Amino acid sequence: MRGTWRRRISAAAGLVALLLCGAELRGQNAVANSAGKIVTDETGRRVAVPADVKRIVTLAPDLTETIYALGLEERLVGNTEVCDTPPAAKTKPHVGTPISPNLEAIVALHPDFVLATTSINREETVDTLRRLGIAVYTSDPHTVRNMLDSIARIAVLTGAGERGAEMVAQLRGRLEALHARLTDLPLVHVLFVVWEDPLITVGQNTFVADALRWAGAESIIVSKQNWPRVGLEEVMRLQPEYIVLTSAHMKAEGNESTELQKRPGWRELRAVELGHVAVISEGVDRPAPGLIDAIEELARVLHPNAFNENGEQEKLKLENGARMPGATVGVKELCPCAL
Amino acid sequence: MSAGAGNGATVAQRPMPFAVDSGLRLKVEQASYAYAATDRSAPKFTLGPTSFEAQQRELVAILGPNASGKSTLLKLLAGVLKPLSGRIEVDGQEVGDLDLRVRAQRIALVQQESELLFPLRVWEYVLQGRYPYGRRLRFESEEDCLLAGNALAQVGADELRDRWIDRLSGGEKQRVILARALAQQPALLLLDEPTQHLDIGGKVELLRRLRRLADENKYTVIVVTHELNLAAEFSDRVVLLHKGKSLRIGTPAEVYERDLLEDVFGAPLEVEMRASGRPRVILRGSH
Amino acid sequence: MRPLTPRRIMAICGLLFAVLFVVVVIALRTGAYPISLRDIVTTLFREALGRRDDIPLEFWQVVFGLRLPRIALGIMVGAALATSGAGFQALLRNPLAEPYVLGVSSGAALGAMLSLMVAPHIVGVIQLGAFVGAAATTAAVYFLGRRGGQLDSATLLLAGIISASFLSAAIMFLGTTMSGRDQRGMAFWLMGDLATPPSFHPGWLFVVLLVTIGSIYTTSSDLNLILTGEQEARHLGVNVNRVKLVVYLAASLLTGLAVSVGGAIGYVGLLVPHAMRMMFGTDYRLLIPTSAIGGAIIIVVADTLARTVVAPTELPVGAMTALAGAPVFIYLMRRRVR
Repeated sequence: MRGTWRRRISAAAGLVALLLCGAELRGQNAVANSAGKIVTDETGRRVAVPADVKRIVTLAPDLTETIYALGLEERLVGNTEVCDTPPAAKTKPHVGTPISPNLEAIVALHPDFVLATTSINREETVDTLRRLGIAVYTSDPHTVRNMLDSIARIAVLTGAGERGAEMVAQLRGRLEALHARLTDLPLVHVLFVVWEDPLITVGQNTFVADALRWAGAESIIVSKQNWPRVGLEEVMRLQPEYIVLTSAHMKAEGNESTELQKRPGWRELRAVELGHVAVISEGVDRPAPGLIDAIEELARVLHPNAFNENGEQEKLKLENGARMPGATVGVKELCPCAL
Repeated sequence: MSAGAGNGATVAQRPMPFAVDSGLRLKVEQASYAYAATDRSAPKFTLGPTSFEAQQRELVAILGPNASGKSTLLKLLAGVLKPLSGRIEVDGQEVGDLDLRVRAQRIALVQQESELLFPLRVWEYVLQGRYPYGRRLRFESEEDCLLAGNALAQVGADELRDRWIDRLSGGEKQRVILARALAQQPALLLLDEPTQHLDIGGKVELLRRLRRLADENKYTVIVVTHELNLAAEFSDRVVLLHKGKSLRIGTPAEVYERDLLEDVFGAPLEVEMRASGRPRVILRGSH
Repeated sequence: MRPLTPRRIMAICGLLFAVLFVVVVIALRTGAYPISLRDIVTTLFREALGRRDDIPLEFWQVVFGLRLPRIALGIMVGAALATSGAGFQALLRNPLAEPYVLGVSSGAALGAMLSLMVAPHIVGVIQLGAFVGAAATTAAVYFLGRRGGQLDSATLLLAGIISASFLSAAIMFLGTTMSGRDQRGMAFWLMGDLATPPSFHPGWLFVVLLVTIGSIYTTSSDLNLILTGEQEARHLGVNVNRVKLVVYLAASLLTGLAVSVGGAIGYVGLLVPHAMRMMFGTDYRLLIPTSAIGGAIIIVVADTLARTVVAPTELPVGAMTALAGAPVFIYLMRRRVR
């Protein structure tokens, strides 16, 4: 009886072990397929990009925005359910959320190129997709310049090299121009509000912090964490000159300044008293072309004088809808002396 | 009859019915013990050097008031504690040297029941008494089942076989616990205050059963108790303990002396000798 | 008198394996990618026969890349957690004891996170950290759960709940101070996630699991006796201290392994042994294997539900087990008061 028992157990164990051996995944990505090439993405991973990218899946809203900006939307076969810029992106098939996408859904779309970003996607997702043999390019935009390089690179890899180069050149141009205007002006100290309750702002290594610098501003909070929580008391101690919010947080078209003036703690801030509350486009939250618009917006609010001198109204629109219809275009500055 | 004095104990001479002591089961030689004091337990407690013997078919009662060292002595006999000095031998082998499982094959200790975590059927419980035999991870054989059945029969609990243990009455549970001990097929059966939770009928029934087990099934039974009359009625010999010393060892008639008992138990007592040769203890009147 | 025989054990385990098989088949069929059962079976056969090249790439990706690893991981995690639950219940003399409730899972998670901070790339370090965390928490709860030198069941549970919340808080604290991308995310540690296979070959995990469950199994006769009372067991010849040590180490190791690859999934060690006891009795010689297989079944079921209930989003598997487990826990608690 004992002997049979042992034999049966070993047989079963052997079977399972065999099955598990099969579960070891095929190794990978360094094999270039269909005459593509092997590149190193922004996280140091080697990716085999096909020569002719036809089916793209994006795993984050900024990447979707970039794809649309490059005019590649026909090749976009899937994105996440939070990709809403431009609105047309909402009609594409969804693969779940950026943090927890449904891997099978991704596979079901037969992509030949998947875009991910370190700003929101998880390493596990990327690694698992790579283990399945899918080409995943991960961008790592720490700064605004990073982001532009990234866009240029993605453009080249997806066969929209010229378009990409053009767009990036334009965006760079705008940035340089902005820089020129602001170069002698002191940086405005701001509190950038990512989330109000709990109060979360940006760390110094984020692209938002870099964007702020381009707009002639600086976050009062210096932190190595990417999204540090701060107490309102600390903000009161530092007394920022401006509070910057994004339109994503505005519930109604209210008067944001008066909203904040009602709240304890907030109303003690000089910036709130003075009405120095800026609401800018939520494009600032994304390392995508729309970021430049948001930077310019913010710069106008913080350094109005820098824009009045020449009396020129520069064209801010790009050709291909980088400016999203429906986003907050105008600038809201609220001050007792304004209209 | 000589009174005990100081450290030593006197063993009253008793003529052995049979000259050959082929049935010597238990031999206690000058065994003593001392507990180390801890923060929570009672202060230092000792059992002075004690000696006695027990034969097959003997029922020995260990008598004494609370805190006299009865439980300590029992634990020494069971091998749970190692004596500070002296030896305790069962069937010629020193108890403390025995392997755990071998010891369980020789000595069975019946304690007051503790809480079962999950309910068991009576037969399952009694079968556990077969654990000391065979391998550690074992499955019970037919022989095991037979022996367990015998044990149940010996305590007259056969009809309780399929009942759930947690549904039994006090007396029934007592029998079942005893059955498990018997399933061990021990040479020595130890019981620690087994009559505590029983009514008088139950007490008598238990002692009768133990007596029968000794007489008919050749067990050597050692019972720790403070029931003077039950001990007198059913035991062959009595070990009287007081404050850690064994004051007297002998037949009930030899040990039950009024002054001695009054001293030990601190109560006004009278000792009557009955026709059967066994004494009876009663509370003295007046107050 | 019908004592337990190996044959009966095999029969019951065979039955449970059949259930597991069915559950696995259903799990294989479930997922966003459209693939029929027939195609799945064909894929499996072709792989087994070594004809890997005949399998369409995407079928292979879905079956062997996504579904099967997840199912295999779920089986192992479930078996480990359920068996460790049964072990803890015997060790701590409490039918409500199980690694999550006692905070042992959280301790394992914390241990794993700490070892990730220290040496993330050495294989097996995370597992070691998780084991140490689990063992330390078990010891702490054991000592805190005593009253007057004895294990008191209410105090034990209280100690467990307190350590669980303390350790969860520590995990969250650690999670926020650890820099962005390098950790698995607190959701993983706190609620479990079977989507990511471990960095080492799963075969190793299987072997270690088998050995550990086997070692608990060798004490199952002893555990049966211990459950009727520790002193009584000693008098019957059980080396109680040794058995408790073995069970302590094995149950901690099982918890550590399970948590290190799947996060803290709760209530499995409670639900499964309880259900198995109700169906098949309290004998540990049967309870250990049935708990192991039952645990595998429950996790695969829970994970499949977690994947489908709000598709395409995936719920953490720990959420499903908690949804089922917490009410059962309360029910069991109330029954004991009787």
